Amino acid sequence: MAEPALNEKIQEFEGKQQWWWAAEVKRSKRLDYLRKAVWRKGSTGGAPISPIKLDLEPALRRIELYKQFKQEPLPLRMAKIHSAMWGSDLIYIVDQSQIVGSKTPSPSTEEWYGSGGIGNAAVYNYPEILPEPLEESLKVVHDVGQFWDQEGEAMEKLISGGDPEDMAKYQSGAIAWGSLIGGYSGKNYEYFMTGKRAFEDIIEEIEENIAKAEEKTQGVSGPDILPLYNKILNWEAMKLSLEAGIRWARRYARLARIIAENFETDPKRKEELLRVSETCERVPAKPPRNLQESLQYDHFIQVLARKEQVEGAWPARPDYYHGPYYNKDVNIEKNITKEEALDLIGEFLIRAYDMPVVLAMGKWVREGLQGIAGTWVWTLGGVKQDGSDACNDMTIALMQAARLVRTPNPTFAFRWHPKVKDEVMREIFECIRHGLGYPAMRNDPILIANAMHWHRHPIEEARTWVHQACMSPCPTTKHGTQPYRMASATANCAKIIEYALWNGYDQVVNMQMGPKTGDAREFTEFEQLFQAWVKQMEWLFSLLTRTVNYARYVQSDVVPRPFLSGISQRAVDSGLDIMRPDGERGNAWITAFTWVENPDSLTAIKKVVFDDKKYTMAQLMDALEANWDGYEEMRLDFVNAPKWGNDDDYADDMMLRCLRESARFSRELKDPSGNSWPILPENVSGNIHYSSIVRSLPNGRRQGDALYDGGISPGPGLDKKGPTAVLKSCGKIDHIVDGRAFLLNQRLSPTQLQGEKGYQLWRAYMKTWADLGLDHVQFNMVSDETLRAAQKDPEKYSEVIVRVAGYSAHFVDISRKTQDNIIQRTIQGIG
Amino acid sequence: MTLCIECQSFFPIEDEPGRGDCVKKCVDARQTYYSSRIVSQDNDADRCDSFQKKIIPKEALH
Repeated sequence: MAEPALNEKIQEFEGKQQWWWAAEVKRSKRLDYLRKAVWRKGSTGGAPISPIKLDLEPALRRIELYKQFKQEPLPLRMAKIHSAMWGSDLIYIVDQSQIVGSKTPSPSTEEWYGSGGIGNAAVYNYPEILPEPLEESLKVVHDVGQFWDQEGEAMEKLISGGDPEDMAKYQSGAIAWGSLIGGYSGKNYEYFMTGKRAFEDIIEEIEENIAKAEEKTQGVSGPDILPLYNKILNWEAMKLSLEAGIRWARRYARLARIIAENFETDPKRKEELLRVSETCERVPAKPPRNLQESLQYDHFIQVLARKEQVEGAWPARPDYYHGPYYNKDVNIEKNITKEEALDLIGEFLIRAYDMPVVLAMGKWVREGLQGIAGTWVWTLGGVKQDGSDACNDMTIALMQAARLVRTPNPTFAFRWHPKVKDEVMREIFECIRHGLGYPAMRNDPILIANAMHWHRHPIEEARTWVHQACMSPCPTTKHGTQPYRMASATANCAKIIEYALWNGYDQVVNMQMGPKTGDAREFTEFEQLFQAWVKQMEWLFSLLTRTVNYARYVQSDVVPRPFLSGISQRAVDSGLDIMRPDGERGNAWITAFTWVENPDSLTAIKKVVFDDKKYTMAQLMDALEANWDGYEEMRLDFVNAPKWGNDDDYADDMMLRCLRESARFSRELKDPSGNSWPILPENVSGNIHYSSIVRSLPNGRRQGDALYDGGISPGPGLDKKGPTAVLKSCGKIDHIVDGRAFLLNQRLSPTQLQGEKGYQLWRAYMKTWADLGLDHVQFNMVSDETLRAAQKDPEKYSEVIVRVAGYSAHFVDISRKTQDNIIQRTIQGIG
Repeated sequence: MTLCIECQSFFPIEDEPGRGDCVKKCVDARQTYYSSRIVSQDNDADRCDSFQKKIIPKEALH
């Protein structure tokens, strides 16, 4: 508890809604030190942040190991390379730290592994991320690139194996966002995180499977033993990876002990370091026994998985899996105090915030995920497998810790259901009121039903769901976990209406992209345009899902994941690499960037051209061709046409029609498991990335203007009828069968929502939201005044956080265009 | 030739004979941290900037 003088200071900051300064005073000295120790790992706007530098040594080491193990079968080669790297890389422990393990060789560097082809473009374009002397670094980058060009880099192998036309269009940069390798990872938490088993137990299971298989391969010959040879290789690779993981963790155990015994003079810190050492000796080899071991176990697994391959998501359910240890340590055995637990939990968040991904990746990643290193959306709340409330004291502690450390990443999303207690709702509201932009609110009953509808997950499994990337619920069970959904099924949907108008031709990339659906100047009825839109939608969704299906199908032959397989029950039981879809129910979704531009554009054309007959299609096409330049009066007619989000059936019916056409078609599209590809409208910051790539549109937008902020959120400033009208529009969508999930951004007034009255207003708003059956809503609650001040004086406001899309970021780390786009969003007065 | 085993930063690994952790205290603009890399005890340390001769306690010399 803070001293009276500090309490006064805290009250002063909180009175001015300067939550970030208040948090600095409130948090422990340890958390303050560790939080400020982090070098931000996301990008600023679209550019890498200085002074983070790449460490090029891993790239050279990987080549050396690749040559050494080249003759090994692929899964073993991968396992041996990783095992050797984990045994030789530089590790470190930050002073004051109690949870250890990092992907990077130092706090201010990031590992670089290098690639061939165009994979090194970011490194060449941003030489400031290379270590000095620059000339030597550039030579290393060149030599590494040349090596992988000659050997055949994995990405190139994937692309060259797919349909050439598909791959050219996918890679054009116009329609898809994301890569064929990696993407949004998933984890089978129900296998390794329930306290029943850890790495040594899994190794035992694997050894038994190998022994049984070898008994057969040494027995009577027959076709049934033929698949076993490869399975044995996979099992051996899994075992090697898990053993390497245990050894890597024990390096931290040794380091902590060496520091304690040789460097540290403070007896209290010595004791802590010895506890860290004991913890790392224990996990991940054996199941955790207390909160610190549980958090450490989870963190080690996350780091190791990301050292094996890039993971752009971080599905997690920390209150559910760590809650029992919190309860044991804090409530039952009283081994640690609540404050000590908050220190551990706060650091657990900081360690995730410290995880790098984007520095050496393409511009599309950095622009699409401005300010963050990846979409670390952690799931809280929800129900247990028996349907009872899963919230616990850890749920509350996580939200309290989040307000103390104020990391934009990880961000939380809360599975709301009718049995959630008021004390939990108050904690959620406090996080939102403190301007974190999270937790996002998810409607648990709706999303459980949705998971059962689209992917046929049984109810007990659907209830285990976590966020895979920003929005998509994915179970954590053997058959329910989807290990990856490659990001490339991320559609720049504004291109659908653009191609419907331009006969499938893309003038930005100068390619015939979509099918020829007719010259829009000749359309005499709205239905002709709508059917052209349907054909373009079908073409776009087919192409992108083909690329992901193909990548999923072949990935285990190109880049298997022995470590991820080793922590996945399906792979351990079957002997197949986890990237193989066999035995998986699938959990695919099409991420629909820039979606609402479609219904709003179609509505405007229907109203202005075909109903009111104020202009012809030819006149509209002339205006669009001119990017509305010289057609301002006409543009305003299209801007002022009915728009989504005002509870106006004229506009809302178009949204429903577009969604239902997509839902119909997504049932025809199948993933490698045979299940559907429902759409999920959301944007991250793709609305800015694509602003210059999408041509002018009939909703009145000019090329270069920011696109809408995404999901089913109305266009900024176009929702003129208040928050209830927005909710009512969104409530017309069936959030179970019309798609996978629907992101809704809302801005609320921090002044209006002060105090108890503010909380009650928000509760009433949330009741309407739940009654209308929406699956998602998230809030920005930072005033225009603060945001404009932050634009003028970014250093003073460097800790202000905003909700961008499915994630939060520091306001100063996003581009000016994105900042303006957030300020333009309507502040809704509720009540 | 100076060897890693002669350095103050070298800490032998119990179950890996001939190898040790090279542990260094580092400071950057934001924090203090300790880093570790596994090295062979017979590595040439002549060109290592951080080499510091291990001080052998008097009692060990007798």
